[in-house]
Amino acid sequence: MSSLSHTDAAEGSSRRGLRTLALRDAGTLIGLVIILLVFALLAPGFISERNLLNILQQSSLNACLALGMTLVIVSGGIDLSVGPTAALSAVISGSLLLAGVPVPLAILAGLALGAVCGLINGVFVAVVGLQPFIVTLGTLSTYRALALIYTGGNPVLGIPAGYRAIFNGTLFGIPSPILIVAVVAIVAWIILKKTPLGEYLLAVGGNEEAAYIAGVPIATTKIAAYVISGFLAALTAAILIGRLGAAEPILGNLWELDAIAASAIGGASLMGGKGSIIGTLLGAIILGAMRNGLTLMNVQAFYQLLATGLIILVAMIIDRMTRGRG
Amino acid sequence: MNQSVPRLRFEGVTKEFPGVRALSDVTFEVAAGEIHALLGENGAGKSTLLRILSGGLRPTAGKVLVDGKELTLRKPIQARAAGIAMIHQELQQVQHLTVAQNMFLGHQLTRLGGLVVDRAEQERRAAAALARIDPSIDPAAPIRTLKVAQRQIVEIARALLDEARIIAMDEPTSSLTPSEFDRLAEIVAGLASSGVSIIYVSHKMDEVFRIGHRATIMRDGAVVGMRELAGVDQKEIVSLMVGRELSQETHRSFATDEVKLEASGLCSAVSRVRNISFRLHKGEVLGIAGLVGSGRSELLRLIAGADRRSAGTISIDGKPVAFRNPREAIAAGVGLCPEERKREGIIPLRSVTSNLGLPSLGRYTTGGLIARRQLDQAAERYLKGVNLRPFLPDRPIRLFSGGNQQKGIIARWLAANSQILLFDEPTRGIDVGAKSEIHALIERLASEGHSIIVVSSELPEVIRLSDRVLVMREGELAAELPSDGLTEQRIVAHAIPGYASQPISHS
Repeated sequence: MSSLSHTDAAEGSSRRGLRTLALRDAGTLIGLVIILLVFALLAPGFISERNLLNILQQSSLNACLALGMTLVIVSGGIDLSVGPTAALSAVISGSLLLAGVPVPLAILAGLALGAVCGLINGVFVAVVGLQPFIVTLGTLSTYRALALIYTGGNPVLGIPAGYRAIFNGTLFGIPSPILIVAVVAIVAWIILKKTPLGEYLLAVGGNEEAAYIAGVPIATTKIAAYVISGFLAALTAAILIGRLGAAEPILGNLWELDAIAASAIGGASLMGGKGSIIGTLLGAIILGAMRNGLTLMNVQAFYQLLATGLIILVAMIIDRMTRGRG
Repeated sequence: MNQSVPRLRFEGVTKEFPGVRALSDVTFEVAAGEIHALLGENGAGKSTLLRILSGGLRPTAGKVLVDGKELTLRKPIQARAAGIAMIHQELQQVQHLTVAQNMFLGHQLTRLGGLVVDRAEQERRAAAALARIDPSIDPAAPIRTLKVAQRQIVEIARALLDEARIIAMDEPTSSLTPSEFDRLAEIVAGLASSGVSIIYVSHKMDEVFRIGHRATIMRDGAVVGMRELAGVDQKEIVSLMVGRELSQETHRSFATDEVKLEASGLCSAVSRVRNISFRLHKGEVLGIAGLVGSGRSELLRLIAGADRRSAGTISIDGKPVAFRNPREAIAAGVGLCPEERKREGIIPLRSVTSNLGLPSLGRYTTGGLIARRQLDQAAERYLKGVNLRPFLPDRPIRLFSGGNQQKGIIARWLAANSQILLFDEPTRGIDVGAKSEIHALIERLASEGHSIIVVSSELPEVIRLSDRVLVMREGELAAELPSDGLTEQRIVAHAIPGYASQPISHS
């Protein structure tokens, strides 16, 4: 007796959930390879060890944000406040450094502040029950305002050399930001694939009511996603001020959009319940490689923006077509 | 009209999807004014056939003829033009629009050259169509203020508005009460006698036999038989549907004297459920009957910690408990198999194993990481126990039939070691074969010492499964009846508001 409807057999190739996701990642990888090949032909010096490391380094900041964003999106939410969270954490951390607070302590304070910003988002979403888009739209303005008010709008200049050395150094020839983000990615992958929190995030985003009946701690799960996102925004800020030597209260403008783009290109569904860490990393590298290649080709910034927009749309169309209807 | 030309004829209709033949060579006829039941298990091809009839799918081969003329059905609008209307199981209505607006959705009547919707004219014509079947419905009322049964009538009126001569109804009664069904049966019979042909898809044999003239039975995409319903018995039809004899179902009791759960004076903070007291014993199956809206599902949600309590106590194994959420109830051994599996039961994109593991991940976690092998082994054991088919625990649960999704949810609670299992409409939307499997499973779980509560709108199911039956009415317990010799009529009498209330009899 056949108890399966026809759609089942039509999707028979996707026997295992695991394999389905890996298939989607392979698609993102193919997209990246095509972009690399195109620029290898068009842009002189694009394929060189130095430039490839450069691309990774440029992508690492967005990747760091996007990893947190992916977890939030998987849980069915969105975090628009990552840029201002980074800015607030940067100016506080920078001020502490200038006041002579030891480097590890200043870094920890910045990261803790980012986590608190995320906690506030999470509480509004999960406990008060407001919509994630609106909550983080509100805190986007609020956190930015706090950073501006705290600094009077001026950058915090003169970040100490000891601090800068951490984020400008290399290990085995690889710039430290790349290594830091690689570690973050591994942890995020473990969280999503191997821990109860990952299962809970996928369940809450996939069907919140069913997850509730199945005993998933809904509020804790959602809050955890926003806390991680805020924490990673602060980590991104820590890396950035180390490289720039200054903490600007306006840093991180529009970061949220790049982070969402990387997640979506990588296969995260804004409806929740679906997303891939590997895909997000590849998505961030696609965006980074595009900008790098276009810059090498001396393409105007306006056209770079255009290319970014188009690549997002093309990625989504391909995603839609390969998944078929419904 | 020539008597020999049928109103509707499927001729050799075949539909192939990549890798599977959903319909093979389906041929049957429906006469004018006939109520023709289309029967078969889920996946037998009924839905595919209806989608072809409504222009949503194109057949690979074969044709559809109306009054002897071959139809070209490429789009739903062509089906409508040919006088074919569909009434879906899940009503496709826009909640905040009025009855009339819903009836004219997509082809509004307009004035001023299409600029303004002529609401008055729409309501007048809607009222005229409704008057033929149920004049009590106000065409200007928002659709959300109507009961499901009334909304269904609106859909039928909408079909009349389109002057449909063929109406296909897909599981029209899945959420109707018995009296609402009586009304629907009257309406459908009336339509048929006025010459409209009805294709009636349902899992409920009793209804089909009451309402239908003939039945076509499908299995695995092919027609396996056609019967005049007047001269055939249910068993024959069912065995045609499933391709084998179903085992005879008689109730066996495994109830003990040990009180597992006791509720006393329970009131809900969020629903009309109030003043509920009862005992549930180890190994007992307690049925809860009542009309839709009588508070049955809400009572289960209350026990499962999903709804908040405003008064009363629950104790399990003699110890008082106070659940603030399902998580706490699960820890105390209570598991809920909800009524609406899609909305409250499953995480559709996740594998059966993931769905199964959710409540008990704590037990399969070492050092913060999920012990995948242990979880897989446990899932395999419990899913084998409930006979998941096809046995692919890693496959997303949404790809399984309703019956197998339900088995996955049951296995979830077994894996979580839940001793008290709450079933809300355990076999709604599940086909006959899987249904008897679920019944056998519930019985087996009782025999293994689980304490079980079954809420069902299908009274034969309640009587068949339960040791005792509680009847709910308007949020309260109206009666407690032993299931031995219990009749549907007795349950219904207690369930209907206004029936002379009598004290709960502990007979």
